[in-house]
Amino acid sequence: MDIIQILPQLLSTGITFGAIYALVGLGFVTIARASQIINFAQGEFVMLGGMITFFLLNKIHLPYPLAALFAILIVVIIGFLLHLLVIYPLRKASLPILLMATLGASLFLSSASALLFGTLPKALPPFSARAPFEIGNISVSPQSLWVLVAAFLTLFSLYLLSHRTLLGKAMEASSTDPLGADLTGISRNLMIFLAFGVSAGIGSVAGIFITPIFYVSYHSGILIGLKGFIAAVLGGWGKHNGAILGGFALGVLESLSVAFIPSGYKDAIAFIVLLLILYIRPKGILGSPFIDSRRW
Amino acid sequence: MVDQVHKEFRRRDLLYSGALWLLSLIIPDPQLHYRREYRFRKRDLFYLLTILLLPLIWSDPHFHHIMVLGGIHGILALGLTLFLGYAGQISLGQAAFFGIGAYTTAVLTTRYGLPSFLAFWASALTAFLFAYLIGRPILKLKGYFLALATLGFGEIFLVMVRESPRLTGGVIGIFDIPFFSFAGFIFDTYLKQYYLIWGVLMGLVLFSKNLIRSKMGRAFLAVAASEDGASAVGIDVSRIKLGVFVIGAAFAGLAGSLFASVMSTANPETFSLNLSVLIVMMVILGGMGNLYGPIAGAIFLTYLIDELSRYQEYSLPIYGVILILLLIFFPDGIGTRLRIRLIYLISYWGRKRRREKVEL
Amino acid sequence: MKKMYWVIFLAFISMTWISPGHAAKTPYKIGVNLELTGPWAEITKTLKNGMVMEVEKINAKGGINGRPLELVFEDNGFDVGRAAANMTKFTRDKEILLVVGPFEDNLQATTRAIAEREKITNLIICPSNPMVRGLKQQWAFNIAQSDIIVSQKLVDLSLARKYKKVLVFHGAWPLAQSLAENFKSFGEAKGIKVIISPETHKPIDIDMTPQLTKMKPIIQKEKVDAFYACTGGPPGPIITKNLRALGIKTPVLGTHAFGFGFIIALGGEAMEGVEFPAAKPVVFDQLDANDPVKPVNIDFDKRWKERYGTPSDQIAGYGYDITGLIEDALKRVKGKVTRASFRDAFENTKGFKGTHGIYQFSPTEHDGLSKKDMVFVRIEGGRFKRIQLPGAE
Repeated sequence: MDIIQILPQLLSTGITFGAIYALVGLGFVTIARASQIINFAQGEFVMLGGMITFFLLNKIHLPYPLAALFAILIVVIIGFLLHLLVIYPLRKASLPILLMATLGASLFLSSASALLFGTLPKALPPFSARAPFEIGNISVSPQSLWVLVAAFLTLFSLYLLSHRTLLGKAMEASSTDPLGADLTGISRNLMIFLAFGVSAGIGSVAGIFITPIFYVSYHSGILIGLKGFIAAVLGGWGKHNGAILGGFALGVLESLSVAFIPSGYKDAIAFIVLLLILYIRPKGILGSPFIDSRRW
Repeated sequence: MVDQVHKEFRRRDLLYSGALWLLSLIIPDPQLHYRREYRFRKRDLFYLLTILLLPLIWSDPHFHHIMVLGGIHGILALGLTLFLGYAGQISLGQAAFFGIGAYTTAVLTTRYGLPSFLAFWASALTAFLFAYLIGRPILKLKGYFLALATLGFGEIFLVMVRESPRLTGGVIGIFDIPFFSFAGFIFDTYLKQYYLIWGVLMGLVLFSKNLIRSKMGRAFLAVAASEDGASAVGIDVSRIKLGVFVIGAAFAGLAGSLFASVMSTANPETFSLNLSVLIVMMVILGGMGNLYGPIAGAIFLTYLIDELSRYQEYSLPIYGVILILLLIFFPDGIGTRLRIRLIYLISYWGRKRRREKVEL
Repeated sequence: MKKMYWVIFLAFISMTWISPGHAAKTPYKIGVNLELTGPWAEITKTLKNGMVMEVEKINAKGGINGRPLELVFEDNGFDVGRAAANMTKFTRDKEILLVVGPFEDNLQATTRAIAEREKITNLIICPSNPMVRGLKQQWAFNIAQSDIIVSQKLVDLSLARKYKKVLVFHGAWPLAQSLAENFKSFGEAKGIKVIISPETHKPIDIDMTPQLTKMKPIIQKEKVDAFYACTGGPPGPIITKNLRALGIKTPVLGTHAFGFGFIIALGGEAMEGVEFPAAKPVVFDQLDANDPVKPVNIDFDKRWKERYGTPSDQIAGYGYDITGLIEDALKRVKGKVTRASFRDAFENTKGFKGTHGIYQFSPTEHDGLSKKDMVFVRIEGGRFKRIQLPGAE
């Protein structure tokens, strides 16, 4: 049977993609845990992470680890600027305006990067050995394992940040109970500011880890951002482990779907999953700390 | 002394009050419709005459073309402002209904040879039916998640169009759609198309004006203010939301039909997320809770994008920056904020002159 | 606050008053309607640079008939409405003699219709759309190699390599689709079995492993001789990379859109051995010594390198060809230069030597290039290498 023959390979691809969606989803969750904002420019952080690393590596000729480190720093600064220049002035604005502002920021970041770095796609060298190794019938590229490691390390450090430090708790408080946070003297704006930095950092790490597998192009941010967001909603909006679970579920589902339907429909899968989960269980698989009432 | 100054009326004051009157004519007060019953006012006449005479005074095909596109965007924005501005719900899937309208017209006129006048109404009906089917499940969502669900619908629509080449021509699209014609009259030049589209738009404005003053229209505002409050006074919230959603979709379907017969092509790339975002932007910049604002926003943004074309590869970044700046400085719409500012400014000038007089 | 309003007011006034300065001699104006933003920005920018460089060269020599050329650029942002708006803007401007672009075939149908209606010459790069080709055209001319020529050339390549069965994996956009269908119809006439896979991909797909995994059993079962990656841009190297990662060793055939340096940079080692029919500028230094196109390319590449510091490519070559064709036609116009007389002169272009080949237009043939203007190329050692096959060239 053909399908059974190809399933393991599809599964392994799905897990790679799952790790990517999970990493991007974690960026969304970080901001959501500090405020109820959804940052549609999250995908652009991923794109910029890969793009700036490529630029530092090939034009300025920095060593690879240093280039990656500087790229993360630059993207974190961009994240801070995004908050200062766009989100902070609109802190009192209504939801559609915030939504449009982050979309506008996403448009600006992607087109500015097209202007600065060109629109041709760019590839980074893999971190380690080039050749894919085979396990039975499946071939796995070593970079996929790097992405998996990155996803779980990010999850672990975010877990430490939000459950073991005062800062993380303060961030969470400013989202779940804005009034209470104000009363206890937590500066909510500062918390959102920091959350944007952290989320930009996560996004750039994702970008640096996934670019060697695929490539980075100025418009690759939007779709990957949306998929990451769907992953976060699927797993449970606002939960770190939810984003990881949702990411893997979405990646595997998308990849396996190709075995049964023509691949042209592949991009619709994520959105059909999104509509279904929003209709059947808006809380997501693991439940959400922010969505408690029957309507939201 | 002071009393005397206040009683004094000078020609200059006439100028200031005239300026204020002109301002109220050009930039509408969004609060007006809450207060008064609808009737044909001077402002409506002013707009009507401007729209009718403008293409004759400024007879430039490029201007006509921009206004044709602006009018189509205006119909889309008008449909969305009922949903976003009045009922307070956000939709990022308006481009899909636009596409459904365009493809209905394209398929009916090129494959089945239906007259475009019938295809025009069929487009609205198809968009209406699709909106009814998907509106039921997704309208129970709110805020960001409603935006996301409608966005998802838009993406699914695009995939479906690409993957059913027999019906929609797939990625290639449909070409050679005949121009809109009615009773043997073909709208083939930009000037004719201008009057066609703005005529349709005027009809829809009239419809919307009556709608928002009807019982249903008042219910929109109640739902936007508080869903719990609205259901407490006996409004069927989900029905109202569905109603305004399908009306907006039918408007988008009409716009799509007109777009297909003006551009004579239908192609999946046209109906992407970018268009949905653009329409929401038009409504926000035009001012929510206001019928003329979004149309003005549509013309403004269409014109802006066209003007930016000359900056070549810088056009997109400049556009992004302009959008963010407009959102930051005019969060409740350019017209609304500008009106407040201008009123303040005009009256400030008036007061200043008086103060100088008093000091003398 | 008041000052701010003044600033805005002044900015507005100055924006409306800015107008281009008048030259001593009225130039021939050429409207250029390109996708300068969006996914094709880099490629259209190369085209723009090529045209700018050539126009400056012509103007430095004193222009044509003593009048300079002037390019008017408008960005259409990959949008039908904006492309049509730019087109009407150009047709309204009576000084504009002809319009170049758009680049992408989705937009060409609309602009062509406007060109026919408003009677202005429209030069089109990358024609492909079968439905567009079906339309009667009087005012539109195709510059680049059409998909028919590419497909015929590819059939020749498969015959020379003795491929009996070819699996086609095509992209979900008009050009790729039409390339795949043409290859099937021409190939089957010559006895090659062509299997078009129902799987497709999109230009923004970053990974093709799922689709290729599904095709792997077909490749093994049917014993396919060659795999035709019928695509353009980044998907090309992605497909080859994923194919090799899955352990499939079947030879890969590509389209003419593989002839860019970035394709090799993206694909790396996986691209070794890929063969495709290419335009002559891709391997201009390896052309036959007596090829009339070779000196044109060498001269153009030298000037391009001096000015932009990078090697020229096939798209830059189109910039040369378009400007050269316009210059050639303008020189041949008898009497007053109008839109109509320019079109007639352009239609009678015979034997213009461009970088891509020798252009021939006639009232019945609006495609300038022919099958002779393409060569076969193989990627070897990270470079494009021309191959000559017996009986195919």
